[in-house]
Amino acid sequence: MSAVSSAGRLYGAIQGRRNRGLGGLYLVVAAFLVLYAVLFPGILSVGGFSKFTQNWFPLALVTMAQALLMLNGGITLAIGPLVSLGAVIAATTMEGVLGVPGGILAVALAGLAIGAVTGAIVAHLRLPAIIVTLAGSFIITGVALILLPRPGGFIPDWLSTTLAGHTPVAFLLLVLILVFWKAFLATPLGIGIYAAGDNPIGAFRSGVPVERVKIVAFALSGLLTALAGLFVAAQTGSGDPVIGAPFTLNSIAAAVLGGVGFLGGKGTMRGAICGSLLLSVMINVMFFLGFPPVAQYVAQGLIIVGAVAVPELLKQWKARR
Amino acid sequence: MTGTSPLLQARQVFKGFFGNPVLKGVDIALHPGRVHALLGENGAGKSTLINLLSGALQPDSGAILVDGRPVGRFSPAAARAAGIAVVQQELSLTADLSIAENIGLGAYPRRFGLIDYGALHRGVREVCDMVGLTEPLDMPVADLALGRRQMVEIAKALFRKPRVLILDEPTSSLSAHEAGILARLIETLRDRGVALLYISHRLNEVQALCSHVTVLKDGGVTADQSLAGIDGEGLVRLMVGRETGDLFPARPAPGPGATRIVVENFSAGLVRDIAFSARSGEIVGIGGLVGQGQEDLLLGLYGAIPAKASRAEVCGAPRLPGHVGDANAAGIVYVPADRKHEGLVLPHSIASNLILPSLGRLARGGFRNRAGESGLIADLARRLAIKGDVARPVQALSGGNQQKVALAKWLPLDPSVLLLNDPTRGVDIETKREIYLMLRAFAAEGRLVILASSDTPELVHLSDRVVVLREGRVAATLEGAAISEEAIVGAAMGVRKQGEAA
Amino acid sequence: MNAVKSMFRNPPLLTFVLVALVWLVASLTLRGFGAYGHLRYLLELAAVIGIVAAGQTLVILMGGIDLSVGAVITVTAILLPLISPAADPTGLTGIVLALAIATGIGLLNGAGAAYLRVPPIIMTLAMATFLQGLLVIVAGGSAVTVSNPAVILLGQARPLGIPAGVILWIVVSVVVLLVIHRMPIGARLLALGANPLAARLSGVSVTRNTLILYALSGFFAGLAGILVLGMNRQGYVGIGDPYLLTSIAAVVLGGTSILGGRGTYAGTIPGAILLVTTTALITVVNASPGWRSIMFGTLILALLLISSREARR
Repeated sequence: MSAVSSAGRLYGAIQGRRNRGLGGLYLVVAAFLVLYAVLFPGILSVGGFSKFTQNWFPLALVTMAQALLMLNGGITLAIGPLVSLGAVIAATTMEGVLGVPGGILAVALAGLAIGAVTGAIVAHLRLPAIIVTLAGSFIITGVALILLPRPGGFIPDWLSTTLAGHTPVAFLLLVLILVFWKAFLATPLGIGIYAAGDNPIGAFRSGVPVERVKIVAFALSGLLTALAGLFVAAQTGSGDPVIGAPFTLNSIAAAVLGGVGFLGGKGTMRGAICGSLLLSVMINVMFFLGFPPVAQYVAQGLIIVGAVAVPELLKQWKARR
Repeated sequence: MTGTSPLLQARQVFKGFFGNPVLKGVDIALHPGRVHALLGENGAGKSTLINLLSGALQPDSGAILVDGRPVGRFSPAAARAAGIAVVQQELSLTADLSIAENIGLGAYPRRFGLIDYGALHRGVREVCDMVGLTEPLDMPVADLALGRRQMVEIAKALFRKPRVLILDEPTSSLSAHEAGILARLIETLRDRGVALLYISHRLNEVQALCSHVTVLKDGGVTADQSLAGIDGEGLVRLMVGRETGDLFPARPAPGPGATRIVVENFSAGLVRDIAFSARSGEIVGIGGLVGQGQEDLLLGLYGAIPAKASRAEVCGAPRLPGHVGDANAAGIVYVPADRKHEGLVLPHSIASNLILPSLGRLARGGFRNRAGESGLIADLARRLAIKGDVARPVQALSGGNQQKVALAKWLPLDPSVLLLNDPTRGVDIETKREIYLMLRAFAAEGRLVILASSDTPELVHLSDRVVVLREGRVAATLEGAAISEEAIVGAAMGVRKQGEAA
Repeated sequence: MNAVKSMFRNPPLLTFVLVALVWLVASLTLRGFGAYGHLRYLLELAAVIGIVAAGQTLVILMGGIDLSVGAVITVTAILLPLISPAADPTGLTGIVLALAIATGIGLLNGAGAAYLRVPPIIMTLAMATFLQGLLVIVAGGSAVTVSNPAVILLGQARPLGIPAGVILWIVVSVVVLLVIHRMPIGARLLALGANPLAARLSGVSVTRNTLILYALSGFFAGLAGILVLGMNRQGYVGIGDPYLLTSIAAVVLGGTSILGGRGTYAGTIPGAILLVTTTALITVVNASPGWRSIMFGTLILALLLISSREARR
């Protein structure tokens, strides 16, 4: 048995097992996509596909950011403000000497730094994530408001057209991010995130550096969230200090839809991405069918409850048979 | 092959919690090529000592020495690097990860920063073969039974190629077959020069495997010697300091009364379509290999999990209890096997735990009756010899005393049926005696005691009747003289007659 | 010294002392802060938070959380003027109806958590989203003015110089403290918060307690909504939003663990006052909205650090 085939066999077998576990979810997503394509064949064109993935991209990113923490046994209520901050930093730095590359770097560093600090507070001071991110959301909103009190700033046109134009650049970026995630998951630190979420004491005893893992999870989460904000700024062409508000709730809804559990270690990132895709499709469908935007909220509330309750009820029903 | 200098040592270590000293000046030395037993009642400090030796805790004073040199700041990672591996009762596995990923956790082979799945596969395969794990390596650990998970935990320890291996009650969840594999494995490791520390309440295992013993009592070492020439009685004497031929109370003349429980086609959890009945004044033992449905039988009768039966008469009512409240009202109480997570509210006080089921009964006019509660709590503490301040958190008590609290809280309900799941697991011998006396007394008072246990001698000496479960069904019902260890184990494993394998 | 040390071990007492200290310092350094009228005004504002936080304290002690309280306050504030029957001159019917609706919403939350096994954080979040959308559809975007006399009385009256809202808060406090410390349900919900499985096996009914406590949380949120309506004289979409985070903060500042099983309402009371005082101080400094937000968040974080560090000892 050569080393390569042995590695491939084990890795492939593990991935296959995880995919089989998600079979039901994949089916539902596929069904919804088919339905969407039937109702709005525009999606099958390059332009339509690009538009769809551009709406999906920021949601996919924040869902990954939220899922990262939920898998580690935490949660963040600061997603919305951090998206806004990412947008604001992008819009205020790109017109300066740093230009676009500097702006992107600034956004990324801000996301990483804020995430790392939050993670350090949660990990070393042992405060619950829900409260720390709650307080943090106020601080981050404040910073965004100071940097840019009113919507404005500047995003170069060429950037907007590249990211949010008629080409599926957003989709390619998403695929790239997923590839990086898969690689990260194949590192001890990546698996450590799952382990520390599911059985923190066991992970500690196994020698997993649980505090470092938590900080890394928060840092990556911050990075993804801030980048989502950058993208949103490119989409709208300017920065808005409160544009991120709906993303907090959406990230939780999408993660829950994708089967990511609240107790840590349960669920997968691919499930979370499916959840974000599903939510994106639903939002688009409601929009195109002429529902008022607030109807989205009503539907979301029902969908979230359904997504969690239905599998649970099925489990109970099966146990009784 | 026994080396001269110890690989791992504790020297005059002291450790205390919540103001209670647990270890008072303990010495122990683990030599290569030797299986060293650690005996002692719970509360004697065994778990604490293991935690100190493996870096999970720091001693208040004293030293831990590796290869004769004191370690500074000891951590689980440092212990691992020094070649020390521990297998504890609480598993360190991650449910949703595969067997392979669990075994390698914290020690993954790496290539360019990524996990080398090829090397992982080979290493895990090798270790699984040693341990007898034949399940597919990509299978999530959550899909395995508890005994198999214990084997994965052992495989995980072996994966790190330890020089010192500490095993804490390793056979508590294993079948006889798996325990046999483990015993042979221990002998192999010993012959390879590994230093082994073996903690177990099963004295027959200790006698078979170990060559040296350290006995802990009340935080101090009372014996540290070779086991050559010591028999079972001698071992117990070392532990307790006196003869314990009277561990089990004499069985009184039987006099069971009216039928309290009858169920037919009863199913709950793993239990499938069994018929079961029991009378007041009886002690009914439920035996079988681990995880054959014993717990689900109890939980189903208690109304804690969904259960159904074609016919049911429970304490005079023509149906099964629908939920726990129903059961309590009918006089049925339950003491779980896992007292830390299911039997007690650990961070709360002894008093709060004792009073919880009785709050409603004592309340007057919708308000709590504090005076009545204090009186009841004091009374219970006295009856069960639970010493000390009852305002302390219950987690400050030893395992045996915690179990007494888990049992005592039900007494004010004057229960007619007591369901007990492994009530003496991890309990010291003194407390075991007290509990056995209590159970006998309950039966004599006309109550029904149903006792699921993995400790076969316990079943043999206490039960008037033993029901052995296998794969959720009744494998045998033994009464009176027919009850014996061989009969119980044989039925549990599906052996038809003596000496014939299933 | 021993007295100081034992104070540190008692989180609610610590928070009270902190409030007293802050008030003392602020009164001495800021003109007008210590005036009776101003302190009374702070207490009125704190009363709303305190009443909402009463329900929040109960569910957090039980190991859950209620993220729908903000939405319930808004719903109550907007619906009450719309559903008060003109036929009733006292306005009490309107209050009863509104409280019934609020309690019903809480009951639905509890049912979702108990029967559908939806984790409370998700159930109440979904409920909040649902209500948010429903509200805009039902009431449009405009504000509703209240004409219900009982409500106005509640919000504006000052019997014996004490605002009616504060009197209401005192009554609520007594009731909640009795529930937690003097009634069996208090001990049961603490057990549920610390170890739900052990509590269930000890005969504590998870279903019944969940339903009761989330219904109570809805009730108190509704009560707070009525008070807010009376104080502002009108209700509008979003009026309840700030109260969600402040209710949670008040509970945690009072030394109650967010994980459940430990704590008391006695700490939430000074916690609410502390929050209101903090906001007032920030307003005095007259900073831009951005700086105000930063200061608010930082102060909550700092207070959290102090109070939970001592509570965990």
